[in-house]
Amino acid sequence: MSLATASYAARRAVQKERVRILYRRALKDTLNWAVHRHLFYNDADALREKFEANRQVEDIELIDRMIADGEASHNKWRHPDPYIVPWAPGGSKFCRNPTPPPGIEIIHNYGREENE
Amino acid sequence: MASALRSAILRHIRVPVTNSLSLSGSAVRSMSSHGDDHLDKQAVIDRVIHVVKSFPKVDPSKVTPDVHFQKDLGLDSLDTVEIVMALEEEFKLEIPDKEADKIDSCHLAIEYIHNHPIAN
Repeated sequence: MSLATASYAARRAVQKERVRILYRRALKDTLNWAVHRHLFYNDADALREKFEANRQVEDIELIDRMIADGEASHNKWRHPDPYIVPWAPGGSKFCRNPTPPPGIEIIHNYGREENE
Repeated sequence: MASALRSAILRHIRVPVTNSLSLSGSAVRSMSSHGDDHLDKQAVIDRVIHVVKSFPKVDPSKVTPDVHFQKDLGLDSLDTVEIVMALEEEFKLEIPDKEADKIDSCHLAIEYIHNHPIAN
């Protein structure tokens, strides 16, 4: 068996990171679908239960397959119009008012210099 | 007479602009409602601690600005994910997945939020 070798530990670490990122995206997706907070809390609890039920699985191949299944079902249930923070890519304010390049100056009294 | 000549000339010639009065002219965006200033560090610390204390699985008396979520507060990695999401909602941030995975303690969270230019 491949217990307690470095590659096993590395594989488990990669799997744990995939699980964390999957949980994060699934939670954001849950918030997208259930806009009202009381519904979101119920759905978030249900999602947490699903993750907790598989907490003690130790077989690496089984964990890989479960993560792949989880990601597939997450892709299937992704919200078509997710809430994205406005200044982030995909949001409504993204690239809206970029900072002007340096050296540009607005002349405020153009054409009226003879009055000064 | 000289000013009339000058304006007549100016109407026909393109004169380059001299950089006379721009103190921080191009760095300050006066009408932007977001990202005008870095947040005050103490305000960031207060808000982060408030969010962590109101997490239901956390004991509020143990929360300090240096606490580690998993080692000191006894939380889970999934609980850490939930706390990071709560911080994202509090500061109206969008943290990329890889960065959010690395936020493991209050100290890291405060550093990240304080250095983020658009935290609000």
